[in-house]
Amino acid sequence: MTTQTAIFRIDSVTKSYGGVKALDAVTLEAGVNEYLSLLGPSGSGKTTLLRVIAGFEVPDSGRVFFQGRDITNLPAHERGIGFVFQNFALFPHLTVRQNIAFGMANGAVLVSSEETAHRTQTIIDMVGLTGMEDRGVDQISGGQRQRVALARTLVMQPKLVLLDEPLGALDANLRGRMRNELRAIRERMGVTFLHVTGSETEALAMGDSVVVLDRGRIIQRGAPDDVYSTPASPDVAHFLNRFNLFEGTLSGGTFTGPFGSVVAAKVTRAPRDVYAIRYDRLRVSPLSASATGPALKATYIANEYLGSSVMNFFETADGKVVEVEHHLSLGAPETFEPRQDYLLTWAPEQAIVFGREGK
Amino acid sequence: MESRVLKPMLAVYVVAFILFLYGPFFVLWILSFQQGPDGGPQFPITEWSTYWYRQIFGLTPPSRIAPLPVGEALVRSLILAFMTMVTSTVLGVMSAQAFRRKFRGSGFVFYLIVLGMMVPGVLTGLGTSLLANNVFEITRHWYTTAFATHVAYTFPFAFLVMLAILNRFDSSVEEAAWSLGVSPWKTFRKVTFPLIFPGVLSAMLFAFTLSFDEFPRSLFAAGGTEDQTLPLAIYGTFSVEIHPNIFAFGVLTTLFSFALLSVYGILMGLSVRRARKLAMQEEIA
Repeated sequence: MTTQTAIFRIDSVTKSYGGVKALDAVTLEAGVNEYLSLLGPSGSGKTTLLRVIAGFEVPDSGRVFFQGRDITNLPAHERGIGFVFQNFALFPHLTVRQNIAFGMANGAVLVSSEETAHRTQTIIDMVGLTGMEDRGVDQISGGQRQRVALARTLVMQPKLVLLDEPLGALDANLRGRMRNELRAIRERMGVTFLHVTGSETEALAMGDSVVVLDRGRIIQRGAPDDVYSTPASPDVAHFLNRFNLFEGTLSGGTFTGPFGSVVAAKVTRAPRDVYAIRYDRLRVSPLSASATGPALKATYIANEYLGSSVMNFFETADGKVVEVEHHLSLGAPETFEPRQDYLLTWAPEQAIVFGREGK
Repeated sequence: MESRVLKPMLAVYVVAFILFLYGPFFVLWILSFQQGPDGGPQFPITEWSTYWYRQIFGLTPPSRIAPLPVGEALVRSLILAFMTMVTSTVLGVMSAQAFRRKFRGSGFVFYLIVLGMMVPGVLTGLGTSLLANNVFEITRHWYTTAFATHVAYTFPFAFLVMLAILNRFDSSVEEAAWSLGVSPWKTFRKVTFPLIFPGVLSAMLFAFTLSFDEFPRSLFAAGGTEDQTLPLAIYGTFSVEIHPNIFAFGVLTTLFSFALLSVYGILMGLSVRRARKLAMQEEIA
């Protein structure tokens, strides 16, 4: 991506709170009409990053650019960047319509009352709030509040909208529906979305591109399927919540872990030696079976039914829990005896090996 | 089992407490209907009458008992209380707003403000009058020196009320307004102020009532007879002789206070509905 098409760019931004670095020289840019999702655990600095871009916080060092202009010291209300809060932050003393028209009615840019009314009604229809215009924001449901928050921001026609865990306050059912709506609305408006989330499924499902943040640093950026299939580090693999991670030692292209020694065909460079194998790549065999590849003895504990798949939990001799996912589309799940030992096997080429020896 | 003993005891205690609280006022209220102009400020009631009420408003034929010299003092006290209320509330809101962000020396400034309600009123009053007489060499008036002491006294109350309100205030609604291109000042007017309005009402009520019956500060800082506030004027009549007209006046001012409280209650009720909306929104978060 070139700078010409970048809608915003932050340049080695650092921000500390009482000596703790929330952002550590973060550089990031996003293009016009792009959906960027920002994934990170709590405390990774993702909300701080959004607040710096929005102008609610001033960075200790580094610059923030928006539409080619340096806005580092510009106050929030002069930036023209939309922000959707996790708690929606609707104006509780105003109706749905007044909430949505608020920016046009009170902003520095003069908008005629006819245009305000027209734009308000258009966006109300677009987000599906028709008929709710004169209700107070306490008289509508959580999903509708979410739509008000979104409409209020989008009606100002910003080129960039920052979303701080906008689906976090909704129940699971609604979350799924709002995901699709968010995507659809964004595509219709042609705005750049920077969506912060702590949920790996949300990040993978929604972004054109995923940015993984940890301890104030960006540790990977890429298309969702690339991040998912080739995490850049053990930490990313950990956040994706789809991998069993084994500590061990890598030496001369051979990884030695709790399952013995396995030849690692390809090693990803990382500061520590970790062997990662996806939940759904593991096979369970009886203890008596003879394994051709790597094998790990583990005790079956319990399972969890997830609708489209079943998650089986095993425990290794050293107390580590290993998760094995069985997709129900592949047939009925096998049943295992609790407290019985089984052999977990996998094809070594499907594992991802991280290590200091990697390239 | 415990509540069978404890509950009646607490009930008796509450009744006793209320009697103790309102007893004096009740006695005053009865005595204010004493016969006049010869009836004294004590039981028994020789004859029920509204003489003393009429006397306050000058509706009785002249007698040996002079009408209460409260007319002008009442107007002065009302104006003073109003001025104090407006000034202290504006200052209280502004300073509490400033305390939302930590600033250098904020702890010191906090104690400096709160000191105004801690220092004994007599000291403030005396100090102000000495300062006015000897240092600035200005004449003391109810609307200058006394006004200053009243503000110094009531401002901390307004400040603390607003501090408590703003402490619980969710600033994300303000940030939301900014991100919609609305300037901080307009955001304060259109978002912050309507939401903190219940607190502002409380601060106003505090400032008004505290100033209205303020005594020690006014005593020293208010100057001569032509500068007397209501509490000073009433106190002045005690030194001669007490008549039931003071009781009648007391009943009237209490009724006035109740009226004021009712207005406050109605306004509060209206804005509490808003506050509840905000609370619901916070619950989701």
